[in-house]
Amino acid sequence: MQREVIVIGGGIAGLQCAKELQEAGRNVRVIERARGVGGRLATRRFEGQPIDFGPMFLHGHAEPFLRAVKDVDGVVMQSPWPRRIQGQGTPCQPDAFAPTEQRAIIPAGMNCFAKHLASGLQVQLNTRIERITADGNCFLLRSSADEEFQCQDLVVAMALEEILGMLGTMGAVPELAPTATLLGMFSSVPSLTLLAAYPLEVPAPDWDILYPEDSPSLQLVSQDSCKRLQPRFVTLVIQARPGWSRERLEQPEEAWSTQLLQEAAQHVGEWVLHPLWTSPHRWKFARVDRGNELSRPLLTPINGNLRLGLAGDVFSPGGGVQAAWLSGSALAQRLLNEE
Amino acid sequence: MTTNPMDTRLNELVERDRNHECPGYGHDHVCVRIVAVAKLPSRFGDFRIVAFWNNRDQKDHIAIVHGDVVGAENVPTRMHSECLTGDVIGSLRCDCRDQLETALKKIGEVERGVVLYLRQEGRGIGLANKIRAYALQDQGMDTVEANLALGFRDDERDYAIAAHMLHSLGISSVHLMTNNPKKVQELEQYGVKVSRRLPHLLPPNPHNRFYLETKAQRSGHFIDFAGLPRLQEQSDPVVIEGMPE
Repeated sequence: MQREVIVIGGGIAGLQCAKELQEAGRNVRVIERARGVGGRLATRRFEGQPIDFGPMFLHGHAEPFLRAVKDVDGVVMQSPWPRRIQGQGTPCQPDAFAPTEQRAIIPAGMNCFAKHLASGLQVQLNTRIERITADGNCFLLRSSADEEFQCQDLVVAMALEEILGMLGTMGAVPELAPTATLLGMFSSVPSLTLLAAYPLEVPAPDWDILYPEDSPSLQLVSQDSCKRLQPRFVTLVIQARPGWSRERLEQPEEAWSTQLLQEAAQHVGEWVLHPLWTSPHRWKFARVDRGNELSRPLLTPINGNLRLGLAGDVFSPGGGVQAAWLSGSALAQRLLNEE
Repeated sequence: MTTNPMDTRLNELVERDRNHECPGYGHDHVCVRIVAVAKLPSRFGDFRIVAFWNNRDQKDHIAIVHGDVVGAENVPTRMHSECLTGDVIGSLRCDCRDQLETALKKIGEVERGVVLYLRQEGRGIGLANKIRAYALQDQGMDTVEANLALGFRDDERDYAIAAHMLHSLGISSVHLMTNNPKKVQELEQYGVKVSRRLPHLLPPNPHNRFYLETKAQRSGHFIDFAGLPRLQEQSDPVVIEGMPE
């Protein structure tokens, strides 16, 4: 009998894992709680203009990952944005601008990479799994709308803390005790993020991305509109530093978004205080910091014939989108080869 | 100051490698260059230290050279993987310090030889993950799956780097000091001729005596006097003099 696979989490790791399993002839379903795929590789639209508010650009050095990126319609890999970098602050990933790294952007929005991976896959959106039970010969998954799913191979592909939350719904499973202890030694960092749109008439800055070295709150300001082919607005994405974000995670959005806008105005100009539109986003588990990564995905047999696979940005060295993709790919290969 | 011909030969390698670029070795296509050479007298003998740049990470791999090795054959060679806790602190959770000291002493006493010191702390993923693996052990939770996820380990890369380093030094064949016959094959895959394998025997001392006392467990975990499992961090089994290999 063909083993059924369910992947919880339609981010880059989950999608790549599902894609490779399906290409190998396995029956795979992806379950995603949001109304679109991509997870943290996120793009919103303001009046039709895309704004990336997760990773600002893609970067990597692993050949298979770069080939997958190259496959996306309209992707720009030849001297892509950001060309004009301002400030001496550190990027979220210190290696992003290393000579070994290739960078890429997608003018139609970064989440097009996720949509590209998802095409041809069976993805069920708007479905939040609330409980997993390891029954004798299958995993039973129950959604918040009381829908039930069954599989023999289960992949959970999310941010680290979300994976731990998901494992927590299973109760005490002896096989998972070392996994939970291991994952408990790692953690993600948060980033409060503010998107803002302005008319084209504002004195837009002469840089693509700013990494302030001396701001208590700002990690970066991205001039997102410079990634677009025909922008109708100047758009900025402001991302806050992890420590500053952590202190304010539970505060109302208005408080921290106003502070972020004021701090950005200090660095960019007074006009930043008067946006046409803003939208705050709380990335509770934005990314993993260097030194907080595992080298490969985890695959644990349960009750003898069930297998639980874990993938995501923490399961491959370096973190970020490339790590997420590589971990999904590595997990698919383990599921196929370790039967 | 006069320079002996051996130092001249080593120093010429720095000049030769200045623009060295090759397709690289192994799945990572790792390429190294000799970037600096100096005298390094040590308590274990008279050595030269050779620093290598590589195109993959910011780690400076090192060759510790005794005698005239450039262009030599059948050079006694030991590959050692960096282990900060063992090599520097003298940790008793592993036997790295004993293995390194023994190799340096033996090579320091013969006509020529090399210790390749590979900077792959924590077996490729860093010191923090190695300490996490220890922490899991302390809680009685160490499993093969967890240790592999923590980065134990990318052997393949060690051999590729080691092979390139030996070629850069102009060493055409080696006598490899190892207890692991697989290491010989792995190295030969990358074009290094291993004309002999020399067993790497450690002298018995109060810290490793338990190996002799529990010789039945050849492949399993060795539990030391403190009740902790002794980790095999170098990719050879520990063999103490007097213990059947």
